[in-house]
Amino acid sequence: MPGDSQVAFALAIAAGAFAASVSVLVIAAAVRAWRRWRQARIARVEVSWRQALGQAAADPSTGALAPISWIEFPDFLLLWNRMRRVLPGDGAANTAELLRRHGLDERALRLLRFGTLRSCLIAMATLGHLRYERAWPRLERLSRGRGPVTSFAAARAVLRIEPRRGLEALSHAILQRADWPVARLGSVLAELGPATVTPTLTTLLVSRPRGGLDRVVKLARFGDRNRIAPIMRGWLSATQDPNLVMAALDYVDDPQELMWAMEAARHPEWRVRMAAARALGRIGAAAEIPALVELLKDPVWWVRYHAAQAVAGLRGMTPEELQVVRETARDNFAADMLAHAFAELPIRRRRIFG
Amino acid sequence: MIRALLWFFIAYFIVAYGGRVLLLLTGVPALLRGLALRPFNDMPAPYSGFEPPVSVIVPASGDIATVIASVGTLLELDYPQYEIIVVCDDGAPGGLAALQEALQLQPFPEALWRRIPSGEVRTVYQSFLHDHLRVLDKEGFGRADALNAGINASRYPLICAIDPGLRVQREALQRLSEPFLEDPATIACMSHMRLDGAGALPRSLFRVLQIVEALPALVFRRVGWDALRSALPMPGDIVMLRKDVVVEANGFNAHSECEDTELALRLHRALRARGDRYEMRFLADPVAWTAGHQSTLAAIGPHRRWQHGFAQALRRNAALLTTGLARRPALPFMLFFESWGAAIEVAGYAFVIAMWAAGLIPAATAGAFLALAVSLGFLVSATALLLETLSTDLYPGLQQLARLAIVAVAENLGYRQLMTFARAAALAPRRRPTA
Repeated sequence: MPGDSQVAFALAIAAGAFAASVSVLVIAAAVRAWRRWRQARIARVEVSWRQALGQAAADPSTGALAPISWIEFPDFLLLWNRMRRVLPGDGAANTAELLRRHGLDERALRLLRFGTLRSCLIAMATLGHLRYERAWPRLERLSRGRGPVTSFAAARAVLRIEPRRGLEALSHAILQRADWPVARLGSVLAELGPATVTPTLTTLLVSRPRGGLDRVVKLARFGDRNRIAPIMRGWLSATQDPNLVMAALDYVDDPQELMWAMEAARHPEWRVRMAAARALGRIGAAAEIPALVELLKDPVWWVRYHAAQAVAGLRGMTPEELQVVRETARDNFAADMLAHAFAELPIRRRRIFG
Repeated sequence: MIRALLWFFIAYFIVAYGGRVLLLLTGVPALLRGLALRPFNDMPAPYSGFEPPVSVIVPASGDIATVIASVGTLLELDYPQYEIIVVCDDGAPGGLAALQEALQLQPFPEALWRRIPSGEVRTVYQSFLHDHLRVLDKEGFGRADALNAGINASRYPLICAIDPGLRVQREALQRLSEPFLEDPATIACMSHMRLDGAGALPRSLFRVLQIVEALPALVFRRVGWDALRSALPMPGDIVMLRKDVVVEANGFNAHSECEDTELALRLHRALRARGDRYEMRFLADPVAWTAGHQSTLAAIGPHRRWQHGFAQALRRNAALLTTGLARRPALPFMLFFESWGAAIEVAGYAFVIAMWAAGLIPAATAGAFLALAVSLGFLVSATALLLETLSTDLYPGLQQLARLAIVAVAENLGYRQLMTFARAAALAPRRRPTA
């Protein structure tokens, strides 16, 4: 018969597990109670914050804030960050004035030193929007930190405070920091606008750095196309790197550059051939049909698809001429793909013209 | 001998349930970090133009009215560029005609690219009302085959299978695609659908029971696996996948009963063998909602299917034990505790009850064993409730916590054991129905 030791052991574990469960539930209850208390407290004061911010949005010299405690401060800043996005006209700038008047910029900077991750992120966003110069050194140091979330939030704030200086300071990080997603960088650059970001982008593109060029090429779309395009097109004669050639082909928009597209149409890399097909569709005319028909026989579906789209969208082609191209396509792949592209034409036109 | 077996079962329960609690706790830092970032996630995200376009594939099975309603919801998704491909196979009789009428479909001369094997696509239809909506009419060989056909017709680099009948959040695609933007090595991102009723718990005790059951098993345990970079999709997940890796892996396995999990395991195996860096992410915040099961009997079926399919998928990908994943604790844990675990647990209960009935162990020993099993189960549920409080907090307030806690006790006094029995039964070999 199994002895008492097993019973004792099993019961001890069961009792321990039960006690741990109750403790865990008590913690959950405490967290919920604290959260409720805090929400109620914030809800009470938020009414007066909204009122003050609303008044200041209309007239920066009006609106007064009652003292804000440390517990409530991050929530106030969060409310301001949210409100400023939807305030019309000078509303956001006017409310920023209210914050400055109450010394909340300096207080946000202190929050950066002593706050939790949540508070720090809110403080960084605030300091950036307030364009608080005194926060620059601290934020710049934080932007060099290892954590991707904090460093990127700091970089974003730096760029908001002084965009050009910020871009200069961060250009190395833009290239090298793979943990800063290109999509997020793109949002920041779009916010800054082409006039601000183009000088940095052109400098980086011209220098063709060994690491991170692919990131800059992707971000180039946020610069001034007229200034970016000549640099990119210059790569067509200077490099064989498929990624660069492909990127450069997207900037080809002059029929005089047809020779590059024709050459790229024979490139061993299928993505380059696909970019060539797109370029031929953009700048080509009826004379480019033989090259596009060759691309229609390509073993890769995407090359055929873009070649067919290019044929369907060629300048100066009448529907009858397009029909002739389709009927004379002897290759089955080509004929199917042309039928597909021609059927898509009305849909594409609807998308473009509404 | 009896004593040794009893020790084995006691040790097994402690390790299995202790492991689950540890796994739940592993996810705490990620949940807290998510909580810190939440104020920013709530703000509308400006689109940067880098969002990869997504092909949403809807396998149209079952009630066609539900399919049409689901397509209506999907057309409202908030995402810069996506297409919807409804795959209508013979599993939805009369479905095509209804779809044709509701969506104004016209035959389209699609140059289909058959990259992965799938049943014959008879006709491709384009909706006249919605430019980004197409419908495939194909031979019926089940969900996996429908998804493969959808992948063949898809034009975008990310695919997302969404079954009809779910209430999908407008920003679902945006949230699922975010990990792909954050880290280009991401190949999959999954989120589990939750039961309807966020904010207030459903009145039905059985529905609350399903919530309490799902929190540790389907949500927070996978937050832990995600922290350990070993998350796997489970039934009821919405999964977004990078199409190129799916095509390279030859698509979904039409012979699998758990095709999403099987594909994920296959991808783990292939990419680890190749030494590639990749990520499969899990989002704790739900992106879709479902009505859940109506009865206990209805809940047993999916449990059995999942258990059988999961065991089958693990067997097929057993090579993972000898390749890279073995260096991580995921696969051995899943094999011993998730796959075979149900059978071992049932054996434990059966052994103790049989020995007690035969008079070979005293009632005190049997009672102590059952108390151990119940209290360890309760600890897992309670820990999941704490994580729910710390993270999504979908059912806020002390009253709802009290209700969840009471149901968590009830869940461990019969319901969990019933589901374990059903899962153990599903492990028995069975004949496949012939096609």
